[in-house]
Amino acid sequence: MRYALLILLFLAPGLARAQAEALENPGAVSAIQERQYRMNHELYLGVGVLPADAFYKGLTGSVSYTYHFSDTFAWQVGRGTYSYNIQTSLRRQLERDFDVAPTASAFEDQVQWMVGSDLVWSPLYGKTAVLNSSVLHFEAFLLGGGTVVKIDRQDGFRPAINLGLGVRMFSGKTLSFRLDVTNNVVFAGASRIINVPVVQLGTAFNFGATE
Amino acid sequence: MTPRSLIAALASAALVVSPATAPAQSGGGSLPMPPPPSGAKATPGAAARPATGSPAPAAKPAESGAPAPAAGTEGAPAAAASDKKPEAAAEAPPPVPQKVDPAIFDQALQDYFDGKPRDAAGPLYAWLQAAPKTDDNYAWAQYFLARSLIDLGLTHAGASYLARIARERSNPNVIPRALDTLKELTDRPHDDVMIDEQVFGALDLGFLPEDTGAYAHYQQGLVDLRVGNERWANTHFAKLSETSAEASRAKFALLVTRLKQVKEPSEELIADFLGLSKDEKLTREARNEAALAVARLRYERLDYTGALEAYNLVKLPELDPGRASLYLEEAWTRYKLGEPRASLGILTTLDAPSFRDEFLPDKYLLRALIYRDLCHYLPAKRAAKELTRRFADSLEAVRNRDDLTQDLRLRRAANSHGGTQRASRFVETLDLEGERLGRYAGSFGDRLFSHLTKLYDLSRAEAVRVYDARLAEAVRQEADTLLRAAEQVRLMEYEVGLKLYERVKKGAKIVAPEDEQLLTPDSVAFRFDGEYWNDELKSYRVSIESRCIEETP
Repeated sequence: MRYALLILLFLAPGLARAQAEALENPGAVSAIQERQYRMNHELYLGVGVLPADAFYKGLTGSVSYTYHFSDTFAWQVGRGTYSYNIQTSLRRQLERDFDVAPTASAFEDQVQWMVGSDLVWSPLYGKTAVLNSSVLHFEAFLLGGGTVVKIDRQDGFRPAINLGLGVRMFSGKTLSFRLDVTNNVVFAGASRIINVPVVQLGTAFNFGATE
Repeated sequence: MTPRSLIAALASAALVVSPATAPAQSGGGSLPMPPPPSGAKATPGAAARPATGSPAPAAKPAESGAPAPAAGTEGAPAAAASDKKPEAAAEAPPPVPQKVDPAIFDQALQDYFDGKPRDAAGPLYAWLQAAPKTDDNYAWAQYFLARSLIDLGLTHAGASYLARIARERSNPNVIPRALDTLKELTDRPHDDVMIDEQVFGALDLGFLPEDTGAYAHYQQGLVDLRVGNERWANTHFAKLSETSAEASRAKFALLVTRLKQVKEPSEELIADFLGLSKDEKLTREARNEAALAVARLRYERLDYTGALEAYNLVKLPELDPGRASLYLEEAWTRYKLGEPRASLGILTTLDAPSFRDEFLPDKYLLRALIYRDLCHYLPAKRAAKELTRRFADSLEAVRNRDDLTQDLRLRRAANSHGGTQRASRFVETLDLEGERLGRYAGSFGDRLFSHLTKLYDLSRAEAVRVYDARLAEAVRQEADTLLRAAEQVRLMEYEVGLKLYERVKKGAKIVAPEDEQLLTPDSVAFRFDGEYWNDELKSYRVSIESRCIEETP
């Protein structure tokens, strides 16, 4: 009981101060603006890399279409990525010096192309001041969905789960730039999983957005 | 907003198009003419004027066979003048004209076209002093001296030479160029009397090219409007092409003049202003002024929704903070419309650093009114007290009958608009150019330097006189505004004091909060934490509950 009184005694000034503050400065101020940039039908063209595999590096080109249900929720209806793969010096060395067969399973994991679909959630929308002279609007989003990956082997279609995040910088009502970092968890075999991270930068064209 | 403050605001808008002029003529324009050479004769054949209207190369005396233009100034070595100190030269009587080789004109012209106005100015002035006024190149020398001075940042000195060309009209080929350059200078702080009234307001308009003629017609119409002769003004304005920017400006000036004359503005007048607010030929500033006029007139007619629509017509450059008076007027309009939270949000805008020095006594009154209406009596009292606290020095000065022009706040308020602002900017320009002149002391030579020093001293003295006259009147008006606000605030304090200690009757209930939808699905909210962003200044909204109680029967 004595401790409870002591605690109350310590809390009282803080509570009184908060109440006095609310009495003197009532209300909360917010800047409420029409959302300047709104997405609707989005066509995306991008380039990127598949940086993770030690035996090859993929240079990718992607295209996708996304329908935005609201400012925070969208469905990337379809996306397709083609990868132009460049063998690393490690692979060349293995083939040259150690006669490793090009059909070795690790070599056959290289991605040729993939298609998929994702759901996109954009909880962050904000703006930043650029050199105190202009304001740049952006949004950040999380995406997740499924992918079909074609890897470099016969009958090489594999399912994958795609998870990632991205950021979009708005340039205008119809144009924005997206940076996506995603990871495809590819189920390559019965008990084998390979990760295919993708880093992409692209331009998004927005159609049908309301003013 | 009180009707009187609205009228004051209207009057300030009117001042934009019909600036009050100083009671006396400006001395800035009456540049003392360089004395003609005592024995100089007109030498018509000395410099042949080309058909293209460009300055004729000054023929050397030996080639032309004519006597040198400054032949009568023999015996006064040029070095003598350069030995004198600038201060002494400024006080001494006009120096005896020196003999100047006519080739100096050609060389100075060459320097000017080579992009060396600093080298050109001194010789051009020396040539002007020696040459007779009837010389074909006299006006050209004045023109290029003016251009050199303008290029060097001495716009007032340049303008005074251009004004002389326009008044003397000695060479018809030079006048259009001089007037065009003068017209460009009117966009900056300038001597209203010398340029607008004595040059454009008094020109013979027959010979002018279309553009310059239109501007001159517009200026002469303005002069007529200022003296209350609308019919004469219309004669000038009628000559303006319908599609010209001057025609739109003239229409604006006419509307403002009519607005000052009528007691109850008609719907037609408002519609005319509305038309001008969308007229792309006008500058953005003028279109905004027209939109503001519409908003103010609608406010006067208690059409608050219409007033708000008109305020929305005001377009600002991206990230421009805008004008404090505009925000305050919109805040009053929203308050009258029954939108206290939006009004309070706009008052938050007026606390932004961009507007911290603005003189807006009404701001505190409006804030106190809103808090009172929402039954937040302590903040209401505090907001009311804030006015007397913030303007304590100024109120004290008014009570003590001190010289109000010495009060920093009132002075700053007076300097922020109308004719006082223009006069203040002109004085600042003269100060700046006076300092700049000092940098050219070495390259101009004693004679031009002392001449310009004298010109700037005289012009500044006159500009300060005009400014002081306008300031005295303007601070009196600002003090009136302050006193009225202080009086209303005292009433408010009394009223709030009564409410504060009012007994709450038994059974009284808090009024149910209004259904206030600040955030629609299309909008985005950024919580304000004291950091002002220019793009948000128009968007602040305050979420505040009413604490009023409902008396039950």
